[in-house]
Amino acid sequence: MLLSFENLGPWRIALGIIAALVTAFLVCPLVLIVMLSFDSSPWLVFPPPHWTLRWYRELFTDPDWLGSFMVSLEVGLTVTVLSVLLGLITAIGISRTRTAWRPACETAFLMPMILPVVVTAIALYAFFLRIHLNGTFCGFVIAHLILALPFSVGAILNGLAHIDPAIENAAVLCGSSRTYAIMRITLPSLRPALFSAAIFSFLASWDEVVVAIFMASPSLQTVPVRIWGNLQQDLSPVIAAVSTVLIVLSGLFIFGANFMKSEKK
Amino acid sequence: MSIFPTRRLRVARGPWLESYGLLLPGLIFLAVFFVIPLCLMLMLSFTVPSLGLEHYRTLFFTSAYRRIFANTFLLATLVTAVSLALGLPVAWFLAIAPRRWSQPVQLVLILSMWTNLLARTYAWVVLLQDTGPINQTLLALHLIAEPLPLMNSLFAVTVGMTYIMLPFVVFPLRNRIAMLEPALFQAATLCGASRMTSFRRIFLPAIATTLGSAGVSVFVMSLGYYVTPSLLGSESRMVLAELIAQLVQSVLDWGLAGAAALVLLVMTLFLYGVQRRLNRQPHTTP
Repeated sequence: MLLSFENLGPWRIALGIIAALVTAFLVCPLVLIVMLSFDSSPWLVFPPPHWTLRWYRELFTDPDWLGSFMVSLEVGLTVTVLSVLLGLITAIGISRTRTAWRPACETAFLMPMILPVVVTAIALYAFFLRIHLNGTFCGFVIAHLILALPFSVGAILNGLAHIDPAIENAAVLCGSSRTYAIMRITLPSLRPALFSAAIFSFLASWDEVVVAIFMASPSLQTVPVRIWGNLQQDLSPVIAAVSTVLIVLSGLFIFGANFMKSEKK
Repeated sequence: MSIFPTRRLRVARGPWLESYGLLLPGLIFLAVFFVIPLCLMLMLSFTVPSLGLEHYRTLFFTSAYRRIFANTFLLATLVTAVSLALGLPVAWFLAIAPRRWSQPVQLVLILSMWTNLLARTYAWVVLLQDTGPINQTLLALHLIAEPLPLMNSLFAVTVGMTYIMLPFVVFPLRNRIAMLEPALFQAATLCGASRMTSFRRIFLPAIATTLGSAGVSVFVMSLGYYVTPSLLGSESRMVLAELIAQLVQSVLDWGLAGAAALVLLVMTLFLYGVQRRLNRQPHTTP
């Protein structure tokens, strides 16, 4: 009874109402941001008295904001490439360790994802201050790579679990070298896993705020860091415009990922 | 596999390089840029400014810091409770409602989950401020005489964090509910059980471990959360993560910050262990 929507009786109405309210609770802030980004009043008056593109013009003509988008993109893409490469090597390594060590290895590589980001952030900050990596591009990439790696290792391990190692071994038996077998057989069948590893790694860096706040310097600020800085001062509608851009980007991302998925089937 | 001669030929330089060797780059990276920094932080907490357990004593025995612990636990408990209370019905709905209704809800959940954290928090800052839409509407309807102090309150942080945590409750629970056996419930009905009885005696016990594990993971994430409490919360209700960041950024008290971070770290690891336990438990089928 409880698992058939038609037979839920009065419970069905309750469930429907709660689901609708929660959906509204989730949608409202997003809609509000989008509307405010077109609001002509700088004081975020709601509902907007007039519509304007002014905040977008300000956003896209401000070298600081454009610079931040570039920094975010550069850090994000570098992290993605390194995270997928290192994640791939590590995941293959983990999948080949003896069973007794495997859980320990997995947990070790998951740790940065489990610990509160603020702990990782200040630990890295303390360390980077001492080795003069703070505020550098390299430091930024390393810090985000630490956070991105668990996602990449996880995604690729998950992919490896669905591949029969016998196929690679068969290639080796037929005279291929191990490296060649990995290149020609294991990697191509891992493609979907590598793709999701890349997406998660990129997002882990692109969306990251806390570590970034500590790693940033005035000349090296990712988009979230600049939003954070702005939020400390005022609630300029430019932030609404940036947020809208980010919402649209993540919408496109989901759409793209879904599209890829249906393509695969 | 090992019975094949080709495999044996490779043993000499094979397995070590192919497994442990592959782990090396990752392990070295993790050791240098994760383990060493954490150890450094740990060391600072015992040695700055002088050797001893001074900072831990301060943390545990000063009323101001004890209040911060209390705030942190209160917030995490509230967020967990609200997320579970709202997440369960939504997960249930997603698991059994017709696709044309469940799909939009699911899409909204995914979209909000993938939207930048700061963008979402910013929305709540705007919504809840004195001149924000909520207060304006209530004022216009003459339901209140002056704006409600919604911002910088426990309420605001709870709302903002529940918003972020909901997907972490909904998706695991939906998967679990979708796995339940309909025949069990039909049997219960045939035996004369009311909906309430099957809910209490079959449904809840069957999803209990998932509910527990989702609850623990939301609790852990909430304990160490920094961004939302610092933007939506008030100074007087500071949480542990804010304290740590503030000690490092403005007070430059690395010793105390390290100690607070270590306490947070230990609590997190402990709860993570609990969650792993819960996940490993076989699902009870009553």
